[in-house]
Order: sequence, then structure tokens, then C-alpha cells
Amino acid sequence: MGDKDEDAIRGTSVEATQIETDLSDETQDFRLLNHLSFLTDSNSATLPKRGEKDFEPNPTEYQADILSASRQAMHNALAHPRLHNANNKVIGYFAPDGPVPPPGVNIEDPAKFGGKGVGVNVHLESCVYVPNPKGQYFKNMGQSDRWNRVWLLPEEALFLIERGSLDIRWPIEMTSSLDDEGSEELSIPMSLQAAYASFIGHAGLTLERYTVFTGLKRLGYALARAPGWDDSARAEGNTLKDQNQGGAVRHPLKRGPGLAGILEQIFSWASDPFCTRSTAAGPVVGCGMHRSYNDIYRKLAMIPWYDPSLAIERDPLDTTPPFRVVFHAYRPSTPIKKSALPPPDFRIAVINTRETESIPTLAQLGALMETTPLDPPHGEKMKRMVYMRLRHGYRNVILAVVDQGIASYLRISDAAFGKEKLYETQSASMGSKKNGNHRGKR
Amino acid sequence: MAEATSKAQSSPEADPARVKARPARAPRPPRPNYRHIHRFPLPVNAHPVPPVIPHNPLSIISAALSYLSFLISRPSQEVHSAYFDPATSSIHVTDVKAIRALWEMGFFGKGNLSRSEPSWLEREKKRRGLLGGNTSEEVTRKRRSERRELKLERARSERLLIEERLKREATARELGSLSVPPDDSTDPTATTIEKFSVKKAMEAKYRARIAQNGGSVPSADESASTQSKFVRFSSVVEQKEVTSTSTVPLQDSSFADGNEIDVEDILENQEHLQLSNEEAFFLVYGLGVLRVFDREQNAVIPTSTLLPLLRRHSYFPSHPESSTLSPDDPFMLSYVVYHHFRSLGWVVRSGVKFGTDYLLYNRGPVFSHAEFAVIIVPSYNDSYWSETEERRDYVTSKQSRSWWWLHCVNRVQAQVKKSLVICYVEVPPPTGSSEDTGALLAQYQVREFLLRRWIPNRTRD
Repeated sequence: MGDKDEDAIRGTSVEATQIETDLSDETQDFRLLNHLSFLTDSNSATLPKRGEKDFEPNPTEYQADILSASRQAMHNALAHPRLHNANNKVIGYFAPDGPVPPPGVNIEDPAKFGGKGVGVNVHLESCVYVPNPKGQYFKNMGQSDRWNRVWLLPEEALFLIERGSLDIRWPIEMTSSLDDEGSEELSIPMSLQAAYASFIGHAGLTLERYTVFTGLKRLGYALARAPGWDDSARAEGNTLKDQNQGGAVRHPLKRGPGLAGILEQIFSWASDPFCTRSTAAGPVVGCGMHRSYNDIYRKLAMIPWYDPSLAIERDPLDTTPPFRVVFHAYRPSTPIKKSALPPPDFRIAVINTRETESIPTLAQLGALMETTPLDPPHGEKMKRMVYMRLRHGYRNVILAVVDQGIASYLRISDAAFGKEKLYETQSASMGSKKNGNHRGKR
Repeated sequence: MAEATSKAQSSPEADPARVKARPARAPRPPRPNYRHIHRFPLPVNAHPVPPVIPHNPLSIISAALSYLSFLISRPSQEVHSAYFDPATSSIHVTDVKAIRALWEMGFFGKGNLSRSEPSWLEREKKRRGLLGGNTSEEVTRKRRSERRELKLERARSERLLIEERLKREATARELGSLSVPPDDSTDPTATTIEKFSVKKAMEAKYRARIAQNGGSVPSADESASTQSKFVRFSSVVEQKEVTSTSTVPLQDSSFADGNEIDVEDILENQEHLQLSNEEAFFLVYGLGVLRVFDREQNAVIPTSTLLPLLRRHSYFPSHPESSTLSPDDPFMLSYVVYHHFRSLGWVVRSGVKFGTDYLLYNRGPVFSHAEFAVIIVPSYNDSYWSETEERRDYVTSKQSRSWWWLHCVNRVQAQVKKSLVICYVEVPPPTGSSEDTGALLAQYQVREFLLRRWIPNRTRD
């Protein structure tokens, strides 16, 4: 009933925090920073609790004190000295022309080694190399070449310089004359501003993509570029665009061909000899009598629906940018080998709302969905719960919708309601009590 | 079916006696047996054949007998009547029996004076003190006013807290000590102890009521003390409460004990059931259990003219009869989706309260909350729609929805614990006038996507 739903609204005003706790949505209580022990002691591992919010200003000194304490805490945290240990210093060099062999080395046959003769694994759009890599960051970032230098993609380099873990130098050719036998100490460090200017816009890295990259990276995810990174790339050969859409659609009205179809007709006549069923003028279920509600529902099925499990997988480039997977994301717990990446945990497409103002059309979203592998619901829990099955879907993708620097993520899945004949479970559970009011838990 | 309706009809009359026998105010009236009332998922009769067990010849005979008896005398299917009102583009059912049948079997329509189930008559009787028990509207109203009271109380306690603190601070200043009394300002959790939680109070109240088993004492002094002293919330609702309760004693109590028939005569049911156009067409075309009358000519509108009529009326103002029907008119899109989900066994109801097109209930709204909320987006993949510049522009304007809108809808659904479903409807190119509704519907296609916020914080492992 209507009021039940409204109960849910009101009910959740208190519980909402439990369903959708998104810490980034809340105002920070900076006093908590005082309780954070990482400044002094790295052993304790308890998270501080959030305090109660005051919604209105009141004239008490108490409130004013809380406010000033909070401000002070923030200043303390900001004023805490952040030191870069000289031992951990990592220096990288900007290579605006992409991966090149070290100066003084000549490669006779560049094609033999791939990547302009640097190494097979090195990404062609890498633009920073680190001759002496150390530290945890290179575990899932960058690719090393034949001379043991690690090449970083622009987003990786920008991420590292932004968090203070990398010192990037301008190439020596750009700052001093070539004949100068200048050692590497003479090179000029790159400022953060210069890094942004140099790397954003370099080889397809938009600010939106970088926002998504750095946001997920900070949460501990590992990210890799997906094959659909280049917006200008198009699928070669014949595109599936037109014929595929129809291939996976189920037409409930069409009868099976040949003998099976005839038998089916005879059988349906036998079960209802006075069949007045007519889909042309109605009633669809006929005026005769019905043996069961399941029969009635089966007769009612006449709208063609899309069955995602029948769709053929698409070329990732056979899509319309920006509805294209550009990042593969891996959970922090997923073991990663840089040279042979496992199948990703999440596939992410990045959308700039100021450029793409409308939500995708079916053609765009359908194409994007078909580039992802089939991921049907499985497991014991899914088998039992219809809602969970429907929510999980058969394919899924994540849209990172970036609106002027704010990323909101949407998980979209191909639900296939048509595959779940709800009436069958209903008629089966009519007698059992426990099926009544359960709700799928999140 | 007739049996079911008569049972449901008789149940409210049986109510007063049952409730009277109990102590004055029972904590919670028993819920009606929804499992029994709504045991039929659709307003169509189904007659199961006795099971045939091969090694038991008797079972074969009984099955054959039932089969034969159906051949000889077929059970009749009741067909309800409704009429179409062109002024409001809506379809009304006024027959009480039909209203009950359509509501109880499949949750079709909405009472025009009620929130969803047509319950105006019952509410009116209760208001006049003729019936015990509570309708859902009353329960909600009561709970709302209780909640409001508690919020007022919270506001009061907060205000007291602030005043007390101000006083303490003032005395502290007078004493000359600069520091505020035994202070806990550095510990943000300290304040939570004193804060007033409406939820907790609500639970406490509920528990107390169960323990007391129906003493009407507690509400009196509480409401007096909180009487709009603090202007945090308007006191309008409380006044309303007063007027509604004050009408009860006006009614002669002996009158209630008098015969019901008189009351029925005095109280004319002024409520009718309003069917959405999709529901009506589904009942007519899909199930064949409804006849829609033209109000002026008093003639049944045949299915073949009902569809164009409803399609023209899906615009405002409705399109004239001479206009050509476009394949993407709002009625076709919403009907295709409605029929699709109905045929899978969902109870489909309007989602206008939550800013969506439909809500999908499993079995029905009295059993559980809707789990899914559906929004409909048309899709124009057919090459016809991209042939000319004009058509391309038209299609773009029809398909475009802003991201902000999507986020809004999605956040609302998350707040009410529903999952958002985007249902794309593939629109066929326009065809000539077709009498075959089934063929027309088969040209459309639906594809559902489930949309959920992804919070990277929570999927890390």
C-alpha cells in the first residue's frame, strides 16, 4: 500500500546512514584528526567515531569552542611536517616523445623488440621513465624496459608526483645544450603545475579520466588502461552494430517451427477446446476456462524482450565514445602481475557530463554492455533470491559520470526480467509463510 | 470469484462485533488475512484439473470427468464494467463488487478518495463511530502525529539543554574562570548521550504501549506539555487531530449499535475506483474481464477503438480523432512495459510518488514493499528513424535525459530502498493502420537495465 512505501521513506531517514554511508558525502569533523594516531603512533588501528552534528548555530560558548577546536585540529593536521626521506627519493625523467632507448644506445633493429625498440611491455604512450625504481608504487604501475627503467603512463606519473612520491625532471635536451656533458643532477625538477600541463591532454588523458584514476587509486584499487582507451579508434571490418541487436531478442508470440509447433498447437487446443484466444483483438487469454494461473501468464507473454545471455560479445572498439570501457579496475585484494593482467574486477567508462549531456541511448548502452563478458548470477545465495539475481544481472559495467571534477559512479547491469518468471515462484510459495514479507538485503 | 468478493464484503461488517468484545483500545488490531483475501493473482478464474496418476485408474476417470463437465457446462467468467471519461482521460469503475474484485485480485486501480485501496466508506464509518479498528490512513495519521509530538519534545529538550548550558556559562563567567565548566568539547562523542533520539523514543513508546496493553493515559499530559510551545514545527496537524477526534462523541453511541442497513442508506459510497489507462486496456485486451463503456452513448467501446482512443488521450490536450497515431506515443510505450511486467507476474503500479513510471511489487502492495522502480526511455534503433535530419532531431530530443535527472531519481530510489530499472522500449517505424493489436505489440522490444550507485569504498574486498 502507499503508506507502506512512505513508511520506508521516513523509516530510512534514520537508517539511511546504514544503507548508503558514503563518507565523502558528509561534512568532516576535523576534531577527529586529533584522535588519529598515525601522527604519533602507528600501532593503534581503531577508527575514530563520528560525532553528532549541530544543525543550527546557538549562542553557547560550548558550540563556539567545538568549532574552534575543530578548526585548530585541521590546522594542526595541515601543519604537521611531511618529510621526504632522502632514501626513498625516486627520480623520473620526462620523455615527451614516448619511450626511447637511453642516450648513447643505438638499436639496429627496433622492430625486433617492439615499442620503438624499448621493450614489448612498455606502453607506447608512456612519457616518464624512472631509471632507478624503488618503493611499493611500482608493484602495479609502470612497465620496465630492457634497461631496467620503468616507464610510466601520464596518469601514473601525475598521480605519483601529486602525492609527492616522485620527482620528475625535465629532459636534459630541453634545458641544456646537448654537447654539455651535464650529469643528471643538473636537470630541472618539474613543478606540479607543469606536470598537469604536460600530462593532461597527453595521449587521450582527459581531466575526467584522471579524476577517476586518481580517486580509485587513492582507495587502493589498481587500474589499467582498457583497449577502448583511444576515442578515435574504430572497429575494423564489419561492425555488428545493426544485426546484433535483433539476434538476442526473444519473441514470445512466435511458435516453434515444424512438428514441434504443430504439436504445441494441438496441445493448446486440447487443453482449451473453446479457445477464444485472440491476440489481434483480445482477450489475449481467451474467454474460455483456464487450468492454472501459470497458463494465463504464459498466454499473456507477448512483448519481445532482450535476452543478454544470447548476445554475442562485441569488439570493444565497436562502441560510441564515451560509452566505452577505458579503465580496468582491480580490487586491492586481487593479486596482480603487471605483465599478465587477470580479468578485471570492474570495467569503467568515463563520461564528462558537460560534453555528453544526455544519458546513453539504448544503442550506446547496449553496445557498451555487449563488450563486457557474460557474468551471470551464480552462487547459492543468488539461486535462492530472485531480487538478488535481478540486481546482479548478466553483464555489468560501471559508468563514472564526472561533473566538473565530481565523479559519481553508476553500476549498470543487464537485468533480463524476462528470464525470471515471477509467477512460477509465486504459485510455488503460495502456501509457505516465510516468503511473504522478505526483502532482499543489501 | 463471487465468493471471494462476498467474503470480503462481509468482513468489515463482522468487524465491529469482534472489536467491541476486546478491551477498549487494543494495541494493534489484527491484520486482515491478506494471504486469503488476495489469493488470486488476477481477476480471472482458474480451474485446475485433478492430477492424473498413471497407475491409479480412478484419477484418470476423475480428470476425464472434470474435463467433460467443463465441456458441457463451461464456467462463466465475470466481466466487469467501467466507463471512460473523456474530460479527464480516465477510466472509472463504480460498481462495488467490481471494485473489490479488481483490487483484491491483482491490485488494479486506486480509490479516488483513498491513497490506494478504496477505503473511503470504511474511513467515513469509523469517523462517525460506526466501526472499530483502524484503516491504514488512520494508522499513518496517528503515527505521524506521534512522531511530530516526539520531534517537538526533542526540540524542547534541545532548547532546555542550550539554556542550561548558557546559564552555566554565565555563572562560570561571573566566577571569573575562563574555562567553560567540566568540559568535554574535545570529545565529539560526549554530546550524543544527551541528544534526544526520535527513533528511540518511538520504540520506547511502542514497547510501553505493549506492556500497558491499551491504557489511554500517557498521551494526555504529554500532548499538553508540548502544545506548540516551540515554533520549530507548525501545530496545524495537532489542531486537525483535535477536530477529528472531537467529532466522535457527537455521534450517539446507541446509533452505532442500531441496524447497519440504515447506516448504509445514510452513507452513500462516494468513492469510485480509477483505473490507469494501461490497467484498463490490460484488463480489456489482455484478460477480457472488463468492458469499457462510452459515457455519452452508453455503448461498449470495442478493443479495436479503445486502443486508438487511449493513445490519443495519452497527450494533453488529447489529439483529435483525425490525427495519425505515432508509434511512440506515451500510451504505447507505457503499455508495452506494463504488459511485459504483468505477464511475468509482477504487480505493476504507478511510481509517480517516487518520480518513476512504475513500481514493481512481488504479489502485491499489501505483502511487501516494491523492490523495483521502473523508468521508461524510448529507443529508436530502426534505420527509419535516422533517415532524415528532421527525424534525427526528433529522436534525439525524445531520447535525451540529463544526468542530473538520472542521479536525482537514483538517489530517491536508494533512499526508499528500491532498485532503479531503466526500461528501454525499442520503437518500431510507423506502420499503416493495423487492426491486429498483438502484431502491433510484438513490434516493440523491451530491455531492462538495473542501475545502482557504485560506492568504491564498499567494494574494495
